[in-house]
Amino acid sequence: MMNTRTRKSLTAAAVASALVLPLAACASGDSGGSSRPENEIHVMVYGDATNKVEQQMVDTFNATSDVKVVLDTIPGADYQQKLQTIIDTNAAPDVFFNWGGGSIEPFVDADLLLPLDDFIAEDPQLKDAFLPAVFNSAVIDGKSYGIPMRGTQPVMLFHNKQVLADAGIEAPETWDELLAAVETLQAKGVTPIALGGADQWPTLMWYQYAFDRVAGPELFEKALAGESDVWDSPESREALDKLSELIEAGAFGTNFDSVKFTDGGSPALLRTGKAAFELMGSWNYSTHYDVEPEWTDANLGYTAFPAIDGGKGDAANITGNTNNFYSVLAKTRYPDTVRDFLKLMYSDEFVEAQLAIGNLPTTTNTEQFLDQAASPDYAAFQFDLVKNAPHFQMSWDQAFPPAAGTPLKIAVQQFFSGQIDADGFIQAMQSLPASR
Amino acid sequence: MTTRAPQGRTRPGAADQQVGRPGVVWALPAALFFGLFALLPMVLVLVLSFTQWSGLGSPEFVGTENWSRLLDDPVMLKSIGLSLLLTALGVVTQTPVAMLLGVWAAGHQWNRAVLSAIFFVPLLLSAAAVSVLWRAVLDPNFGVPAQMEWLFGDGNLFGNQSTAIAVLVFVSLWQFTPLHALIYQGAAKAVPPMLYEAAEIDGAGRVRSFFAITLPQLRNTMITSMILMIVGGLTTFDTVLILTNGGPGTDTTITAFYMYQKAFRGFDFGLASAIAVVLVVAATAISLVTVRLSGYDKMRSELEGV
Amino acid sequence: MSNDLSVTPAEHASGPTTPPTPGGASRPGGTQDGGARRRRAGGRAGRGSRNRPNWGAGIAVTIWLLIVAIPLYVLVTASFQTQAGYAQGGPLSLPTTFTLDNFTNAFEQGFGRYFLNTVVVTVAVVGIVVLLVPPLSYAIVRNRSRATTGIFRMFLLGLAVPASAVIVPIFYVISVVGLYDNLIGVILPTAAFCLPICTIILSGSMRDITNELYEAMALDGASPRRVFLQLVLPLSKGGVATIVVYSALQAWNGFLFPLILTQSEATKVITLGLFNFQTQYGVNIPGLLAAVVMSMIPILLVYLFARRALVQGLMGVGGK
Repeated sequence: MMNTRTRKSLTAAAVASALVLPLAACASGDSGGSSRPENEIHVMVYGDATNKVEQQMVDTFNATSDVKVVLDTIPGADYQQKLQTIIDTNAAPDVFFNWGGGSIEPFVDADLLLPLDDFIAEDPQLKDAFLPAVFNSAVIDGKSYGIPMRGTQPVMLFHNKQVLADAGIEAPETWDELLAAVETLQAKGVTPIALGGADQWPTLMWYQYAFDRVAGPELFEKALAGESDVWDSPESREALDKLSELIEAGAFGTNFDSVKFTDGGSPALLRTGKAAFELMGSWNYSTHYDVEPEWTDANLGYTAFPAIDGGKGDAANITGNTNNFYSVLAKTRYPDTVRDFLKLMYSDEFVEAQLAIGNLPTTTNTEQFLDQAASPDYAAFQFDLVKNAPHFQMSWDQAFPPAAGTPLKIAVQQFFSGQIDADGFIQAMQSLPASR
Repeated sequence: MTTRAPQGRTRPGAADQQVGRPGVVWALPAALFFGLFALLPMVLVLVLSFTQWSGLGSPEFVGTENWSRLLDDPVMLKSIGLSLLLTALGVVTQTPVAMLLGVWAAGHQWNRAVLSAIFFVPLLLSAAAVSVLWRAVLDPNFGVPAQMEWLFGDGNLFGNQSTAIAVLVFVSLWQFTPLHALIYQGAAKAVPPMLYEAAEIDGAGRVRSFFAITLPQLRNTMITSMILMIVGGLTTFDTVLILTNGGPGTDTTITAFYMYQKAFRGFDFGLASAIAVVLVVAATAISLVTVRLSGYDKMRSELEGV
Repeated sequence: MSNDLSVTPAEHASGPTTPPTPGGASRPGGTQDGGARRRRAGGRAGRGSRNRPNWGAGIAVTIWLLIVAIPLYVLVTASFQTQAGYAQGGPLSLPTTFTLDNFTNAFEQGFGRYFLNTVVVTVAVVGIVVLLVPPLSYAIVRNRSRATTGIFRMFLLGLAVPASAVIVPIFYVISVVGLYDNLIGVILPTAAFCLPICTIILSGSMRDITNELYEAMALDGASPRRVFLQLVLPLSKGGVATIVVYSALQAWNGFLFPLILTQSEATKVITLGLFNFQTQYGVNIPGLLAAVVMSMIPILLVYLFARRALVQGLMGVGGK
């Protein structure tokens, strides 16, 4: 008796769902421009402290425009998920913040985005006003899909000046110097390198830099395009060897997988002198500054990632968040308004406002305003780093499409903690979901 | 509390008077509502498990592709084992602690009442808050482990599978014991005091009374509490998300978390739905088996007394 | 305090819903008169062996007290410290700094709005539960048809339906009907997943109403509606209070549905606010814990005032 009832209700539910599914198809198929709001464009951005500059730009723009810009901020780490959720619905914004590369690739494949080449043809400054290493992160299949906004965030090797001075060492310029520094620091009872391994992405930073120094950027491009042999190449293996050497030397201590950057753990290690180095994105400066400004100005040192002898990658190459980008939805009602709004992203006002809050824009005119930055020396160092970089490799977890992000970071974490060896790692990389 | 029940059903003459009895209609709104938001999704998840959907566009039917991918997925197999392990550890740790606390708190001493009120507090915290809090307490360099090196060593609690699992089990114990203790407390209070008095006359001590009287009387309670633990254990995911993020590697990636990862980080909703189906089936099956094995459903319908 | 927790259940157990004597004779040692008094006396003096100090239990309880209290200590002290002070001393040490900035900052970061949203969700969920569950439980207890038994079984099984397992289709349905990033989209599934346990709690408490009382109403020719309003509801007030508190707790602390079903600042609830404090650019633990403390305050207040209802109701889950 229970069975017939169950079967009946199952049938009813199946019928109901059969009704809902085609309905769904209609709902999302009908997301054309007709129902989009009139006389306004929506700009969706990652919500954080930078929003005040974005709001300022919007206000500037709205002062003279008939079609108004509305700024929607989406706070929190789930930005990408939320974006993917609404981008194919009527609630989709006209313009949205992204990280370029893999973060917009699925949208390009789904024909949701507007190639910006026509805009650039009308106003070449939309391309020429930006540093090329950065601009190219949002070029997919030869078409431009993003205009840089906000600032660049290269990854650098930070150190505690006091700890280095106490140990009598200089910030390392080569891998061998780094290994030597590790040995000295260990002897002094200091954890040589702070690593927020529980966050996973800080560990990935080490791997992607080592890979870039040993193999150069071209090999990674191939891997990204789906050539999985790359991971088994001699270069790939050498990069892994280099890292093994560092890990086995005890460079990261033993408990890095329990430490997070995001809860302030690894920064505190560096600040309190329990660790000497940390490889981190440029936001690290403000992370420390927010807690202890005097210490940060006096004691936080920063250098480029060390060179690796015999590597194919240029020692001036950098990795990190090349920049954030504004991309445009193909179904926007007001492309001309969007184009005019994007022009603000290389304006003097934009550059000055970004510098004032500690961001480093990547426009060619940034250099002349560097002395207005929140910390001028730091801004100048970064800007030179980015300007002189032959290649700026976007962080791998953003270069890959979202489906590959988690397995990639897990594989790197497992390699660092010794759960898998080089062969196991290579196998994991080869089974990553391909770019296309 | 169990002592009161029988009267209602032991007088057939009265029960047959159908005057004033509510019709099924009274149950319908809730049943429909629940069906719409809990049962219909269960059917939908089955449908979605045969589709491919990235959140862009509409789901496309792909047959059994997700299911064959799932069968070949080592992480999935591992996650099932981990879910079972965590659930079993949860039941094994929480049941004795909750039972002892519950029985203890059922006593009438004032200090027990005060302490019970404190013990209850973790239940008031959201899982998000609990996880964030324990993450801070267990930080290897600035938390308890750094101040108790003799116990925690280098404090790499989240870097090894065994310790990461231990942390998850412990935090669940901390968070959920109050609820179960309360359930046991209620049941322990309902044990007729005469039973203890009789045992005392027979010269039984505290421990013997517990095993001879309290434990058998708590049988049904144990089953209810265990079902809640099993379902909770199989589907815990916020604690894993915030505390271990499934790591180190995939060492604490339990099935529910793996589903979340596939769905909302990898945007592979079809595969995630297949995982969800496995979860629903497993949770329902385990609960059914527990209920059947114990004969609990019969007892419930007969409202058996003491 | 001790009254609430210890004496009342005994009173409740021997309250108006229990006829004075039937079955008393069959109880070992039971007397025909003064059952309630006897029972309570038995609880205190009757258990001779229980009056000896119980050292084992004392030690075990002290250990458990430490386990429960240490994180709570960290929670409260950290929320009043500066970031630098906390980073220096760590969570366990005595606080060396004192500040209220963490609390004011939390409000500046939109905590007030999260708070309001959470109140809206909680009130709505409780409203739905209170509207749906009492009639359902009434039917379950008083209607003997197979359909009702089936419905009750559905809710029993519903206990085993994990919300996280159906989040994908719920997400799908909610976005299809256009409730994504809308508080209603959070309220409906949250309420639905409160129903099974609330139904079990309330139908349990309604079963305590004796048949004699129904019969008395029936002799007056009362309609089911009148029976429900004049007899069932008043006598199951305790159970209703429990499901109110229980569903409020669920809604207030809900995480999964808001995480998946909302995105903007305008619809953010507290738990999500806590989670989102952690971004890629570092988090301020004292600030976070201050927010945790504030998120607890309303629940603590409810706990202080409605502890009896909650505690008794949850006890009832396993008591039958």
